[in-house]
Amino acid sequence: MADRRDVIILGAGHNGLVTAFDLARAGIKPLVLERRPVVGGCAVTEEFHSGFRCSLLAHAAGPLDSGIARDMQLDRHGLQWVHPEPRLFAPSPEGRALLLYSDLAKSAQEIAAFSPKDAAKFPELHALLARIANVLCPVLAMTPPDIDHPSAGDLFKLLQAGRSFRSLGRKDMYRLLRWGPMAVADFAAEWFETELLRAAIAARGIFGTAMGPWSAGSTMTFLLRAAADPDPVGTSSFPRGGMGALAEAMAAAARAAGAEIRTGTEVTQILVKDGKVAGVVFSTGQEMPARAVISSADPKRTLLGLVGPLHLDPSLVVKQRNYRCAGNVAKVNLALDALPTFTALAGKGTSAAALAGRIHIGPETDYLERAFDASKYGEFSAHPHLEVMIPSLSDPSLAPPGKHVMSIYVQYAPYKLRNADWNAQRNALTEKVIATLAAYAPDLVQKILAFQVITPLDFEQTFGLTGGHIFHGELALDQLFTMRPLLGWARYQTPIAGLYLCGSGTHPGTGLNGLSGRNAARAALKSLR
Amino acid sequence: MAAHFAPRARAERYSPMPTRYDVIIIGGGHNGLVNAAYLARAGKKVVVLERRHVLGGAAVTEEIFPGFKFSVCSYVVSLLRPEIIRDLDLPRHGLEILPLDGTFTPMPNGDFLWRVNDHAKTRREIARHSKLDAEAYEEFGQAMLQMCKFVKPILAMTPPDPTTLNPKDLGKLLFLGRRFQRLPEQDKYNQVQLMTMSAVDFLDQWFETDVLKATMSASGIIGTFLGVRSPGTAYVLLHHYMGEIDGAFRSWGFARGGTGAISNAIADAARAAGAEIRTQSPIAKILVKDGQAVGVALQNGDELYASVISSSVDPNLTFLKLLGAVHLPGEFVEEVQRYKFRGSSGKVNLALDALPDFLCRPGAGPHLRGAISISPSVDYMERAYDDAKYGRFSRRPYIDVVIPSLTDPSVAPPGKHVMSCFVQYAPYKLSEGTWDQQREAFGDTVIETLCEHAPNLRSIILGRQVLTPLDLEREFGLTEGNIFQGELSLEQLFFLRPVPGWARYRTPIRNLYMCGSATHPGGGIMGAPGRLAALEILKDWKKGAS
Repeated sequence: MADRRDVIILGAGHNGLVTAFDLARAGIKPLVLERRPVVGGCAVTEEFHSGFRCSLLAHAAGPLDSGIARDMQLDRHGLQWVHPEPRLFAPSPEGRALLLYSDLAKSAQEIAAFSPKDAAKFPELHALLARIANVLCPVLAMTPPDIDHPSAGDLFKLLQAGRSFRSLGRKDMYRLLRWGPMAVADFAAEWFETELLRAAIAARGIFGTAMGPWSAGSTMTFLLRAAADPDPVGTSSFPRGGMGALAEAMAAAARAAGAEIRTGTEVTQILVKDGKVAGVVFSTGQEMPARAVISSADPKRTLLGLVGPLHLDPSLVVKQRNYRCAGNVAKVNLALDALPTFTALAGKGTSAAALAGRIHIGPETDYLERAFDASKYGEFSAHPHLEVMIPSLSDPSLAPPGKHVMSIYVQYAPYKLRNADWNAQRNALTEKVIATLAAYAPDLVQKILAFQVITPLDFEQTFGLTGGHIFHGELALDQLFTMRPLLGWARYQTPIAGLYLCGSGTHPGTGLNGLSGRNAARAALKSLR
Repeated sequence: MAAHFAPRARAERYSPMPTRYDVIIIGGGHNGLVNAAYLARAGKKVVVLERRHVLGGAAVTEEIFPGFKFSVCSYVVSLLRPEIIRDLDLPRHGLEILPLDGTFTPMPNGDFLWRVNDHAKTRREIARHSKLDAEAYEEFGQAMLQMCKFVKPILAMTPPDPTTLNPKDLGKLLFLGRRFQRLPEQDKYNQVQLMTMSAVDFLDQWFETDVLKATMSASGIIGTFLGVRSPGTAYVLLHHYMGEIDGAFRSWGFARGGTGAISNAIADAARAAGAEIRTQSPIAKILVKDGQAVGVALQNGDELYASVISSSVDPNLTFLKLLGAVHLPGEFVEEVQRYKFRGSSGKVNLALDALPDFLCRPGAGPHLRGAISISPSVDYMERAYDDAKYGRFSRRPYIDVVIPSLTDPSVAPPGKHVMSCFVQYAPYKLSEGTWDQQREAFGDTVIETLCEHAPNLRSIILGRQVLTPLDLEREFGLTEGNIFQGELSLEQLFFLRPVPGWARYRTPIRNLYMCGSATHPGGGIMGAPGRLAALEILKDWKKGAS
């Protein structure tokens, strides 16, 4: 309980920082060790071309859990959010544009140009998702119950969740039960008839996963995301200065609360003695004793890499090996001399105004599914699904005056390529991405000054994500809630006493909400205090 | 329970053409017949109305070519509930199951995988492909057995309503929860994975041999519009593992005389209990009076009246065609319209002059007596699915072949054979052309695919019947040609089957019940829906009487 740095947090990604803050605030001053020279993990802003800065990985956030944002007082630590409008721009190959705003009436008006029926249904879906979010949010913020021996607290929380579920009413209760395991393509088709809108919604269910819109269970991923933001197409908000600014504000908050953060310090081993954590070993060979280690690295890396199979039950090793975390996402960042001209915006006034949010490339659910098909056979998509942002439009500090950065999520790019090596495929992937975008913005090619490619292999090697999975493990029904990362070990503890997990590989683990970090801190504090 | 359903004396039942019945059952498929048998045994005056000239629905034997008897649709039996076989004493009514031994998978490289019921043999065979897999196979079998034991009572249970606080429903949910809780750690893990994962992801954890995984995963996709890599297919894998004949798990078989013999045995049991069964009696509509089902009008104009109408046809036919949406609440109609059929399979039945000769294992032999599975690799299976997703039949389909005449010579003339080919994928909705235009091309593709493995096939075909999903719909009344009366996907199972809130065999119309495969626990020649529906009807009957 004293101010000794004997509790170590591995990794200064957003979850590690939330855990650090919560522990520090509770009087346990942790030491955060980050392998890379900067804090943030996947939430970083880096200069990839002289004068051009970009959120390297995540480009739109969460949103961060409001409780965490409030507790950490991130605004006092320099964080400012940018909320671009429209939230989403989806061009169609025929040159039509679908623009969706935070203002539902405005979105409905845009949708009406495609289908008055859909326009009427859009706000209805929004309202329903908001009701469902009320049920799901407390579930995301809770430690998954112990199935074998549920405590009184577990039962109480489950009862509460059950009561809020019942508050939905019979119709919506059944809807939720039915939707969970369904394919998001079916879900979108149940609501809307406009293919472009269906695709934009389906995209949210498959983002970052190894699922296509026709994969069963992708609606669950959609609903989990909708729990954080009930807007059917999601947020486009990001911190001024890029994602790195969020990480820096979090780091500042954690430090202010009493945590110590050391960057450029790589831990290569977690020391275990008599089934208990004894300390960590640095890449320099130096050792540091610790009574507890909380790892924000992914579960495979933590347990199979840093701890090692020797200290684990063989059946657990097998299960951990079977934990699915093969990534399917690549990132391409472009430095642009000027804004590209999107054909679909020809009649829409200044195109800059329409491009501020996320740009969705993937006109039909079948298009998305075909993009996914390639990945099943170990190839990246010939016509990938892209999620694009031009953050410099709302935050000019990211690029030299008049110039822009474009951040592109590319799906699908399977970690394991068949008959090919990612390092040899970087340019081939970039060409596919640029060609795909150029179909919508033909002058893009002339405006590219420089590019950066981050392949799933880079995600693994540079950012330490096993398999290059941006969520530390597949978001599928068999790896959620009480099964994340493994059934029986979903409560942030591990079979090694004193070793905890706090990264995205734990419940709830979807994107930048910080809840894994907070839930883990709560679980760890129970025994640390 | 048997005492409760003691049949009445037959003499009492014998009156010509009663005009008023206790129960009218729509459809003489196996579920309708099981339903009839249970109700008749409980003393109800029952009539079964079948549209076609033969009983059995999709479990039917027909002589398509003179001398050749085909199990036209459904071709193997494994899921028929043992309690039904016992309660109805089906062996006494002529049911005889002949074992179907093994699965033979030819491979394009000239090799094959041949699994048989003999464990030691199969182990040696798998070891030829991978020693590790041979060991895992045994363990896998054990694990699946445990899983089947866990799932078994669920198949014999009317689904609870998870949205009510009714103590009975809560009790059932708690019972399920407790059972799960009591499973050993490893079984819990397996169970959860089975319910949520794709067949291939699940099998990847156990095995490394591609052809083994491909063939095993095939059972996960039969009759669904899903691929072997689609989440949720691992569960169906279990469904097909659950074969229990005479209490032995995992054995598949033929009925002597074809699948229709099962229906005939059930029909016989129903008749013996006093049920009346009429074929060639298509129904025009279900009669409703004051919001209650009161009878049916036949297409010939006859009207029959009963206290209960029990429909074994699918929800689309029952509610939208026979009943009419006007009688139903709008939300219910929407749910029925949303119910996914999406037929994905076809059938090619061949009359053969001789046996096919496989390149990888020439000559006749015991390998032809089991199932022959055209599933050479996981990618092959997945690509077959990809075609279907975009509205084409698979250029190279998954085919499950059986030659029942090898086991049951009565179904073909001496020396000749019948060959049944279950083909997937054949999507009901084609992106180009119609099934009437594509039927023969589809049949050709199947023959071509088979000829790649057994080139002599083309020259020994005496007759060929191609059934597309459209044919299944037209001939057998299966909407969109779905052989299970609706997709077996997670969102359409258990308390969600067929539609949320109506998984307990009842409908929004009083006295109208569902008893077909579209209700829990779903398709296959299981008979469980027919039995469970009968039990629910009797429960309500008692309540109404008291």
